[in-house]
Amino acid sequence: MPDPILHSHGLEPFLSSISSATDCAEQPGIRIGIEPGLCHINLRGDPGSVEFIDAVNSVLQQDLPLAANTMTTGNNRIYWLGPNEWLIISSLEKDKDRVTNLRESVRGQHACVTDLSGGQLALRINGPHARDVLAKGCTLDFHPSVFHSGHCAQSGLAKTGVLIGLLDDGSEFEIVVRRSFVDYLAHWLQHAAEEFGVEFSVI
Amino acid sequence: MFLIKCPFCGERAETEFSYGGEAGINRPLDPDALSDVEWADYLFMRKNPRGAHKELWNHAQGCRRWFGVERDTVSYRISRSFELPAGDKGP
Repeated sequence: MPDPILHSHGLEPFLSSISSATDCAEQPGIRIGIEPGLCHINLRGDPGSVEFIDAVNSVLQQDLPLAANTMTTGNNRIYWLGPNEWLIISSLEKDKDRVTNLRESVRGQHACVTDLSGGQLALRINGPHARDVLAKGCTLDFHPSVFHSGHCAQSGLAKTGVLIGLLDDGSEFEIVVRRSFVDYLAHWLQHAAEEFGVEFSVI
Repeated sequence: MFLIKCPFCGERAETEFSYGGEAGINRPLDPDALSDVEWADYLFMRKNPRGAHKELWNHAQGCRRWFGVERDTVSYRISRSFELPAGDKGP
């Protein structure tokens, strides 16, 4: 059974709040979606080992991104975190046994599988002003020629450590943040996006 | 903005990094064999040069890896950043 905390995302107070700009504008400049109940797995291992790559591939049915600052999508969203570290995000309901399966597949190897589902939360951010709002609190370059789809980076957003990735069609960002910081980050986003209009929703 | 090149992630703002002091100071393999002077030298004495300096940095808000940087302490110009030798994972 998943822990009950996974069913509370902590952003309930924001769902009813609508900023003043949204009242007059037809379309909010930025939409923030909360996707609760996701499975977050941190995976570490040697990308140079064929045995490791094969074992992980057999469970995930998806390639690990080996190039820096990239991600792959498919059954899961797999983010490159470092030269031997990845974050795998997938639907919790679908993948209840994923942590166990992954751990079994790399047993005996110099590798590590850690379940982070209870510690992290993912926000989806889209809308015409998504890049403008992120640029207010982050030193990364969000120009489309630099931050394109499939690109990801760990950085600071309003001084909070985050992982930011741009999903498939290049219009939606996923922001992974520690659960204990999500209330702070949501307040910051709400304030930073006020001039464009902001809308919170559950996906 | 002061940019530091992480050998793994590329150029990022200085705010993502934390400083780890002079590079290349290894803990003595057999501390008991050291005299007090030698131990104090390992523990406290640093070069603090004016000019080129090899130092450790940690990409704290990024990949969280330690790496080395060669920086001029006068101009702050970074001439290169490099991965630490195998087995040396930083402080």
